[in-house]
Amino acid sequence: MRDPKRQSIVQLQGISKRFGALIANDQVSLDIAPGEVLALLGENGAGKSTLMKILYGFYQADAGRILIEGQPVTIDSPHTAMRLGIAMVFQQFSLIENLTVAENLMLASAKAPRGVWVNRTHWVKSHSRLSELAPSIQPTNLIRNLAVGEKQLVELVKALDADARVVILDEPTSVLTPIETQRFWMLIRQLADQGHAVVFITHKLEDVRACADCTAVMRKGRVVDMSPARDRTAKELVYMMVGRENLAIVNPVPPSPAYPRLQIQNLSADSDASSRSSASTIRNVNLAIAAGEIVGIAGVAGNGQQLFADVLAGLLPSVQGTMLLDGTLLHRAGKSSRQDIAYIPEQPLQNGVAAELDLVANLWAKKIGKMAFFPLRAKQRTHAARLIHAFDVQPPDPTLKAVNLSGGNLQKLVLARELSDSPSLIIACYPTMGLDIAATQFVYEKLFQHAQSRACIVWISESLDDLLQYSHRIAVLFRGEVVGVVETSTANRHQLGQWMTGGREVA
Amino acid sequence: MSFGDTVIAVLNGLPVSALRSATPLLFVTLGETLTQRVGIINLGVEGQMLVGAITGFAVTITFGNPWMGLLLGGVAGLVLSSIHAFLCLACGSSQIASGIGVWILGSGLSAFFGRAFVGEKIEQGFRTLDLPRLALVPVLGPLITEMTPVIGIAIILSPLLGLWLYRSPTGLTWRAVGESTTVSRAMGINSLWIQCQGIMAGGFLSGIGGAALSVDYTLTWAEGMTVGRGLVAVGLVIVARWNPYLVMPVALLFGGSEALALRLQAAGAPISPYLMGTLPYLVALVVLVINYGQVRQTGGMPEGLRSVFSHTV
Repeated sequence: MRDPKRQSIVQLQGISKRFGALIANDQVSLDIAPGEVLALLGENGAGKSTLMKILYGFYQADAGRILIEGQPVTIDSPHTAMRLGIAMVFQQFSLIENLTVAENLMLASAKAPRGVWVNRTHWVKSHSRLSELAPSIQPTNLIRNLAVGEKQLVELVKALDADARVVILDEPTSVLTPIETQRFWMLIRQLADQGHAVVFITHKLEDVRACADCTAVMRKGRVVDMSPARDRTAKELVYMMVGRENLAIVNPVPPSPAYPRLQIQNLSADSDASSRSSASTIRNVNLAIAAGEIVGIAGVAGNGQQLFADVLAGLLPSVQGTMLLDGTLLHRAGKSSRQDIAYIPEQPLQNGVAAELDLVANLWAKKIGKMAFFPLRAKQRTHAARLIHAFDVQPPDPTLKAVNLSGGNLQKLVLARELSDSPSLIIACYPTMGLDIAATQFVYEKLFQHAQSRACIVWISESLDDLLQYSHRIAVLFRGEVVGVVETSTANRHQLGQWMTGGREVA
Repeated sequence: MSFGDTVIAVLNGLPVSALRSATPLLFVTLGETLTQRVGIINLGVEGQMLVGAITGFAVTITFGNPWMGLLLGGVAGLVLSSIHAFLCLACGSSQIASGIGVWILGSGLSAFFGRAFVGEKIEQGFRTLDLPRLALVPVLGPLITEMTPVIGIAIILSPLLGLWLYRSPTGLTWRAVGESTTVSRAMGINSLWIQCQGIMAGGFLSGIGGAALSVDYTLTWAEGMTVGRGLVAVGLVIVARWNPYLVMPVALLFGGSEALALRLQAAGAPISPYLMGTLPYLVALVVLVINYGQVRQTGGMPEGLRSVFSHTV
């Protein structure tokens, strides 16, 4: 697969880049070949994204050069990169939500016709790769009505419509559901087989297993290893990424005496499409959680998990049913939310922080009910600095606005605020989304610590692997109902899969 | 006069007067729709209308050519709106503050230059279609015979702009800019220039709207003669959900209720004229409520407009 005579399409030679005191890339060299999927691995902040953003013209390298088909080139803007056939798909999509798929594709394409009477659907069907790559997406759909995975496909189509030969994907699977992820891997293979060069930035090893030809591991701004994917075991890759041989994999401690601390009885609720999640409903949910127990809520996205979490956290009202914590009502109408509930919502930027406020204010937000009339800024600052250090939020500058943090660090910020006190109930929606291996382990460690100090933990996740490894019990939500609850020790994947798809056989 | 006669008298000329009173509003609302479509809110339309009205009036009186008055009225509105464009786009000032500034400047300027024209009346306005035989046709007759070219242009403009906005590539670019300047910039669109065009197009149309008011509707000039029509237009943009096609029925509804109020008053309906004057606004509010009851969301507001309010001034 990887012979020395292999023709590279892009060569990066001795690329260096520093941001102030931080050396993001240090003398990095990398070859990208057509027809190959290159997995660029590394922890958060290893410099993978920076390197690719240099190739995409987003940043300029301080030293080093870029060769395309052997010719040195200067890439001074994304525009130039696109002209050279390099496209990058970011985690934050550059699609316009209120326009249709067809309109977005036409906007991005220089070849789009200019007449008033052009049939846009027809144009997209005949001139865009949409129908080839994503036949199920209707060109007349509005982008905002698409699922995350579909948006990503449209992004990819946009890149390919612009005749991209090199496609860079920035952690594409971190936002996808398991099923979407599998489809995405197939698509990536298909692109490589057509002769495209694909660079897949990721920190998930399953991505590598599924579709990479070649792996490059970055650590602290350097490429520490580059080899064919089949030559490296998962363990070796983790070691090279983290730089430690054995990352202590934590394991949950069994819950203390099995009397229920949190009791959810006959809980039903509805949310309509006008609230932030799409229309959903939960029906007659019964669940009892012991002190120190971690209950995983599994299910395909959109089966009421979001609503369940919101109701539990007291953000949305329930239609009927009771939620009792230690025998008292969890939420009472008109009461301000309880201090001892930790809520880690999905999409922290929208739901978990005040984006335009600084980290100090965001970290203090939970204590706002107890705040003095003339609050002491210095006190808040030390509090913030301590949490930022403890949860390793990068960059560690408390005066930064929350909106300026990257996805993973934003997640850490929310975790820092929610998990720092001693909550009696933790509601965690995808708490490890966007985090690297070390940070993920840290989150689990924190959850286990709280479990040991008798907190009840409701953990919503789509990854069965994680749920099976780290939770005590798993409840499956399907169309708003709990269709099954099982002890993790006796759970089997097949059964869970069946519940998740409503009893139908899993394909 | 019996009650039946009164009803007939009120209703008979209603379509014509509705159209006449809606025409200036139609221009202004279309213009503001374009401005808001590129993600800019311009509260200065009131001032731009006034400047357009006095310019149009003065030019028509001086040169005796209403077409020239209409055109230069539009140009005056455009010039005034470019102040808004400069303040918001080049200096990054608050759109709300800048808009109000333009509004006050416009009303001040128009009052100052308008003093010489108070009391004058345009003798040679636009000619209506002079077809005495058509006038005998019941409802349509007066509608056609009293139609001026300005009304015709206004009627055609609404679907024309709709077609342009929704079907043409440039219209698509404008909508893209209004939704997200960052994304459009990433696509190689000069979003600043598009927004500038959007503001100036709005300024031109509001100037024409003002000129249509003085040159074609009242045929006189009075200080502050727009009496809030510019601000009404800003509201009607929302009622029409930023859709040029919908601007037409919305403006007609508003103009119609205004005309109805006037005619009821003329026919001696026993309601206070002040109360009657609120009728158009009530209708607009009711439409807004019904409208939003159905849509239950932002109703098609360009995403870029959100930033006008989310950033601290």
